[in-house]
Amino acid sequence: MRQLNSLLAGITTLFRRARAERDMDDELQQFLQTAIDEGLSSGMTRGEAARAARVRLGSPAAVKDHVRDAGWEVLVEQFGRDIAYAWRGLWRSRTFVATTVFTLAIGLGLVTVVFTVFDAYVLRPFAIRDPNSVYEVYWWSQEAGGHTFRWRDYEDMKARTDLFDSAVVEDGRFLSSNGTTLSAAFVSGNYFEALGAPILLGRGLAEYDARAVGDAPVAVLSHQAWSRFFEADPGVIGREIVLNDHRLIIVGVARAEFQGLDDYPHDLWLPVTMYGPITGQNLFGSNQPRELRVLVRLRSDVTAAQAQTSLGIEPFETKVVGRLDSVRAELKVRATRVPLTPDVIALFAPVFVPFVLVLVAACANASNVMLARANTRHREIGVRLALGASRGRVIRQLVTEGFLIAALAGVVGLGLAALVLRAGTPLVIGQLSASIAPLVRVVPLEFDRRVFVFALAAVSATTLLFALLPALHATRLTLMDAIRGQAGSKIRSSALRGLLVGGQVAISLALLIVAATLVRNGVAIANVDLGFNPGSVLSVNTRGQSSLVPKAAGVLSDDPRIDQVVVTSRNPLFGQLEKIPVLEGGRVVVPVTYLFVSPGYFSMLGIPIIHGRGFRPGESREESGVAIVSAAAAQALWPGEEPVGKTLHLEMPEARTGVADVLTRSLKAVGKSGGLYVTVVGVAKDVVSGLVYEGKDSAQVYLPTSVEGQHAKALLVHPRPGTNLQPDAIRTMLLQVHPDPLKFETIPLVEMVAVQMFPLRLASWIGSILGGIALVLSVSGLYGVLTYMLGQRAREIAIRMALGAAAPAVVRLVMRQSARLAGAGAAIGLLFAFTVMEFLSSIIRLEEVSVLDPAAFAAGVALVTIAVALASYGPARRATHLDPASILKSET
Amino acid sequence: MNAPPPDPTPTDLVQGTLHMLILKTLALEPMHGYGIGVRLEQISKGVFQVNGGSLFPALRRLERAGLIKGDWHATENNRRAKYYTLTASGRATLRRETRDWEVQAAAIARILRASPGEV
Repeated sequence: MRQLNSLLAGITTLFRRARAERDMDDELQQFLQTAIDEGLSSGMTRGEAARAARVRLGSPAAVKDHVRDAGWEVLVEQFGRDIAYAWRGLWRSRTFVATTVFTLAIGLGLVTVVFTVFDAYVLRPFAIRDPNSVYEVYWWSQEAGGHTFRWRDYEDMKARTDLFDSAVVEDGRFLSSNGTTLSAAFVSGNYFEALGAPILLGRGLAEYDARAVGDAPVAVLSHQAWSRFFEADPGVIGREIVLNDHRLIIVGVARAEFQGLDDYPHDLWLPVTMYGPITGQNLFGSNQPRELRVLVRLRSDVTAAQAQTSLGIEPFETKVVGRLDSVRAELKVRATRVPLTPDVIALFAPVFVPFVLVLVAACANASNVMLARANTRHREIGVRLALGASRGRVIRQLVTEGFLIAALAGVVGLGLAALVLRAGTPLVIGQLSASIAPLVRVVPLEFDRRVFVFALAAVSATTLLFALLPALHATRLTLMDAIRGQAGSKIRSSALRGLLVGGQVAISLALLIVAATLVRNGVAIANVDLGFNPGSVLSVNTRGQSSLVPKAAGVLSDDPRIDQVVVTSRNPLFGQLEKIPVLEGGRVVVPVTYLFVSPGYFSMLGIPIIHGRGFRPGESREESGVAIVSAAAAQALWPGEEPVGKTLHLEMPEARTGVADVLTRSLKAVGKSGGLYVTVVGVAKDVVSGLVYEGKDSAQVYLPTSVEGQHAKALLVHPRPGTNLQPDAIRTMLLQVHPDPLKFETIPLVEMVAVQMFPLRLASWIGSILGGIALVLSVSGLYGVLTYMLGQRAREIAIRMALGAAAPAVVRLVMRQSARLAGAGAAIGLLFAFTVMEFLSSIIRLEEVSVLDPAAFAAGVALVTIAVALASYGPARRATHLDPASILKSET
Repeated sequence: MNAPPPDPTPTDLVQGTLHMLILKTLALEPMHGYGIGVRLEQISKGVFQVNGGSLFPALRRLERAGLIKGDWHATENNRRAKYYTLTASGRATLRRETRDWEVQAAAIARILRASPGEV
């Protein structure tokens, strides 16, 4: 009650200040009058009475001050005045403020952006009921593993009510809707209900939508798709959407926060029973494809480990993989898009490290600049103390100033982060090629409050700390010293200065080296020689139905615009190749990657056969027992020997039926021991067939196939020169093969190169940006701290000058001392950079650049040296131009 | 220029005591600021000289806390003055503080009178 009274009274006073002041004046006036009246009535003269009254009251101004201090509202008023004062002060030193605010804002903004992305993928749980009980089921055997199952397996798992509350199916597909590619998910009927996925309009899918194949042509839209394709029409329920020429009725729209449980957001959800009609593949027949992801909600009394063991014994061993080999189940938490595991942390760490370094550098930098400024303020503080300000009052004012800077930095940082997040996504997607971009879906990057608050707290702490430090210094000075502007020799400022310069150099150097290594690594990988020329070659992949390959090859070869068509078991640059072991005398010698190709492959891509010969059409038709090995494979298998004519014994992955039935039993060259014996007929130059990122194939074996061959699963098309054949033209041709345009996926090989390069280019850009920021921060920070240092030493320099030191000698002296401090800092920085790089290289592949990349280290050291030189030369020159007499005078 | 009054350096005891004394004064009759000061001086026979720098902040605090209430009235000399009255909660506070004070004062007096044999 008492607090409430006080609060109300305080607020009233705040808003009716003039009235309160008048009241107070009246009351004091009345006090004086009454006192004088009393004095007169007790026989004093008017003068005596007036004096006695004034003595009794005291100074009216002071009394009013004390009364004001009695209420809490005075703090608010003082805070307001402090802000105004701080604002005026900061406005006078705009350059300083702009530097500090911008420095801090960059650090803040960058960290916020990185964390927002991290949060969107890793930390933020899916918007479903109790996301932490949702697990995805995986299976593992000795050689393989996966996370897709047959419908039958799903039903088995769903029946395990002793383990799971519920089990749902989700299978993401790209479907075409009048030329637009949509990312759809086929889901079991219980999906929305079991997950508790939030619905904005209409309803989610239900069990009765998924009773019989083709029964219920319905769909639920995502919020994103609803806004993009239906202009967020509130009457969208009941409207139609055409998918692969099937009409579906929209029955619901999911809320924005729910985008499915896949790595990327979905555009719409369809009942799994529409899978057959839309994709032409039967999920429920006797020969069920392994297509479906299964997500389970674990019962609260069952642990993931228990469920894994239990699943491994029963359905998995006997049914899922069809063998009694040691197949085990694994349940992975699926509460977030990317489960938070040590691997994920390791993956993100290299991104985080440089960004956090930027924040640290920014804070260190701002601290230095603020200290440099504080040095010039001793006098101001001294004057305020002399005029009667209490120490607390001065400190409060300085803290307010720090707060103001932090707040400004916060606002700018917020704007910067919002800008980067808003402009960044389209910018990044815009860099992707036309064939790829429509397939990319990005998780909405919502601004993360938590990280911003964290970063703001870090920045505020730094700012306040370094606002306070000079305040504590200055308010401890004797008045006379302070007014003279002398910081006081009692403070061991030389140690502090050394620490500041050294620290700044160390952080700048580490940041520069890390950034330079990232840039060089990115550039080096991006410039990697593929070993072949993708030129105008287009890749045509079949989506699952390789039986369409012969017909497609026929149609494409008949077109006059096309020069040549070859087939492969998997087109180059479409991800990692599978490894199989080469045996010799029953033991594994070396693992190789393999690729079935038709004879024209080498000439089409310009891969030279450097020894021996290529495949002959006969060999290719027969898929007979010959092979071409890459130069690296020849070197690894038979170093210094003649490879042509040698026999290779490849292990037959028979045991992998159902997993990767790539090398099938139908091969004619199967030897008695279950292996495949092939004779080497040629050696091809090393090329990149898998991931650009991994460099050229370590050991590659090419096996022959033909258009009719068992292993022909994809096509490469070489257009006639000058036809400028686009993917769309190929798509039109392929309509003769199958009316569904999405049976095939046509992408120019150069675009695949671009897609693979994309993350590397991105890393390289980010590295460059960070490097640039590091450079600016280093120079400005060093400049700030050296200016501060020399400001402190103005007197010493003045004495040297007065004693006859020549300006160049003084500059040399200053530079030498700066160099000594910087040298110590650089040693620490090098050590730190090395530790960071060591850490980074343990988690990312720094293929082309060594951890101790001499160029990066040299560049870092050179830049910091130049920065130190520039930063100390300017202030040193300036110091020598000062008039010794005036400096010495001001100091006495 | 008037020198600022020496800071009253209100310790808890002094400040609390002044509050209690003001409440007591007002318990006798409603009074304005000057009257309170004079009355305190008279009753204490000049031991307590309360100047404006201590009196008005104390009055403000008491008013804030809802223990006293100020209203403008005409004085006997036909001037306007702010008269303070004790509120109900002020009366209760005064009773409690008086009791506490008596207990403490008696205890302190006993301690001060204690002879070596008693300890």
